[in-house]
Amino acid sequence: MFKRKLLALDHHAPDSVNINDEREIKNLVLWLENQKIRRYKIENRGVLEADGPQWRANFEKYCKDLASPIVDGSMEEKLEWLIGYAVSLEYADDVGKYKAQTAENISKTVLTAPKVESSNPLDNMDFESADFKKGVLTLAQILNITPHPDHLITLQAVSKVVRERLSQEALDNPNNIIVKGKPFPFQEADLGFDMGDYVLNQAAKILRLLYIHDLRDLQTNINETIVAVQSITADPKTDTKLGQVGR
Amino acid sequence: MVVRDYNDELKYLERIDANSWRIKKGFQPNMNVEGVFYVNSALEKLMFDELRNACRPGMVGGFLPGMKQIANVAALPGIVHRSIGLPDVHSGYGFAIGNMAAFDMNDPLSIVSPGGVGFDINCGVRLLRTNLFEKDVQPVKEQLAQSMFDHIPVGVGSKGIIPMTATNLEEALEMGMDWSLREGYIWAEDKEHCEEYGRMLNADPSKVSMRAKKRGLPQLGTLGAGNHYAEIQVVDEIYDKWAASKMGIEDKGQVCVMIHSGSRGFGHQVATDALVQMEKAMKRDNIETNDRQLACARINSQEGQDYLKAMAAAANFAWVNRSSMTFLSRQAFAKQFHMTPDDLDMHVIYDVSHNIAKVEEHVVDGKQKTLLVHRKGSTRAFPPHHPLIPVDYQLTGQPVLIGGTMGTCSYVLTGTEQGMQQTFGSTCHGAGRALSRAKSRRNLEYTDVLNKLQQQGIAIRVASLKLVMEEAPESYKNVTDVVDTCHAAGISKKCIKLRPIAVIKG
Repeated sequence: MFKRKLLALDHHAPDSVNINDEREIKNLVLWLENQKIRRYKIENRGVLEADGPQWRANFEKYCKDLASPIVDGSMEEKLEWLIGYAVSLEYADDVGKYKAQTAENISKTVLTAPKVESSNPLDNMDFESADFKKGVLTLAQILNITPHPDHLITLQAVSKVVRERLSQEALDNPNNIIVKGKPFPFQEADLGFDMGDYVLNQAAKILRLLYIHDLRDLQTNINETIVAVQSITADPKTDTKLGQVGR
Repeated sequence: MVVRDYNDELKYLERIDANSWRIKKGFQPNMNVEGVFYVNSALEKLMFDELRNACRPGMVGGFLPGMKQIANVAALPGIVHRSIGLPDVHSGYGFAIGNMAAFDMNDPLSIVSPGGVGFDINCGVRLLRTNLFEKDVQPVKEQLAQSMFDHIPVGVGSKGIIPMTATNLEEALEMGMDWSLREGYIWAEDKEHCEEYGRMLNADPSKVSMRAKKRGLPQLGTLGAGNHYAEIQVVDEIYDKWAASKMGIEDKGQVCVMIHSGSRGFGHQVATDALVQMEKAMKRDNIETNDRQLACARINSQEGQDYLKAMAAAANFAWVNRSSMTFLSRQAFAKQFHMTPDDLDMHVIYDVSHNIAKVEEHVVDGKQKTLLVHRKGSTRAFPPHHPLIPVDYQLTGQPVLIGGTMGTCSYVLTGTEQGMQQTFGSTCHGAGRALSRAKSRRNLEYTDVLNKLQQQGIAIRVASLKLVMEEAPESYKNVTDVVDTCHAAGISKKCIKLRPIAVIKG
């Protein structure tokens, strides 16, 4: 929780703040007040000491003193606001410095950073070597894929077949993973337009099929999302006393 | 209205092809575009008889004949392309039912008319499939019909059994089917297979009167009366095997559930409120129409915008309503067969709206335009690859659900490219009345109607017997004629025919 904001505030342990632990919350609030917010005078900050009595009430008052808009929210929301407030103070302290940190500037710094030597053997391969081309061709032949003049496109097709048809899941349960469509005489289907050339029309038909395939995947994803949401929201009810049914 | 001799009227009508007629300018005053209507020989006779009757001296009062209404709509400001009558067209309030028209959003004079949407805003049809077959259901047909009747509140003044507070209603009006999803009444896939994904985003509950909300609150989750129904149907014929298979329909005899309902008293009140506002707007903006019932307001006016937002809220109401009944139907089936709805594969095939106005993009005379498309008694039927239809139907075109009348059959069609060009991607919605309600009551006996249904082996549960006469198949145009005309004209394509084995009605 709050990792990025705490990192920005130079917190000593941004990764490991556990907001379910009351003690850690208390320490975090005190740290924020001591280091960043400084709303109270030093001598008055004792009210936020973790061992202090009535910490909760003091904390509520502290939030009120800071004019926090979160009145009825959970502890998490209150902390979120408090940390955000501290970040905004930090920013206001040195606007000039932070303003320069635009996305553009940051990407420049990244580019000038030293390159890390990759340990991935694929990065050191020559994809244009005759050896590689031959390998792709052989692979395509084994998998029964028609090669494309550009061997990289052939490789894409190989990758697709391996991912979709030769995954562990697909090998274990071919019936569930590999869609068994029903045949449809798409050659006779109405294309909707005529380009006056048999070959072009054929190509258009195949493009349409590919498009429909993509669309089906999209619609399936949409349906799965709806079903996932339904598992949270759905609660169908009927009450036959409300109306009259049957006679 | 121009009074002319029948033979003089005929001079303004011209056959385009076997299935369509043109209504030329001058048939009614101030027509901005031509009219067109789709018929086959049987429906053609009905249309022309209606016109001939209206031309007889001394015929006043009642609704204008359908053809005249189509022509009056063609005289509204901002209309583009044509005023279109689908094969099931019959006289209605202002716009004929089965009349669709589109207005250019970029023309400041264009109008929106509540009469072009209808009083039952977002009345529509939803079709659920099951993995049951007729042989599984026939032996327990009566029990199943009773179980549905015991789960779904039906009839005039019926009240819903899903607990709703005023706050729930506000949320439902804003969220549409997303509300039903959130509360867990429906499945994620239901939303995917629903026109507009079950939610009009421009809905604004604050534009809806308290009165409408008061009427609507207890009615949410009820079937209603009139031509609304829930039917257990079996697949009788498959015309397009591939499209049917995309919808999860594998073979003849497969059992489906069709729910036909709308926004109940809520939508009616929204429309009534809007008509009052629009009359004021017409006076202020000097909008002239051929028929007082065609009350309308400029799309960009306060009244126009308010209506569109309230209408969207009513549309959301209807989707929540059909969703609630989907939930109840699934429960009824689950109880009867001691299986979960999941195991019964009770997925929504599709859900269509046939009384609605929507903003859509269309190509008119080679130019892309943003239009406000009014569909009253007309179903959207978008072609394959249209971006607004679900991914599962990208190759087949949008499923179009055509509810038949009590005891006749229903159809599933699919949208076509030709329909997109000729009718703004619209097709018929059902059978369409041939006899008025009063006339049906005079001419038919309810015992005869019930006996006939029994002979056909259809179980029926009905809350009001008077309704049985009004809704008898004899009171309607033949839905097969209507659907065949749409198929022959190419504005949609036949896919599945369904026949009922049990009917639940108001």
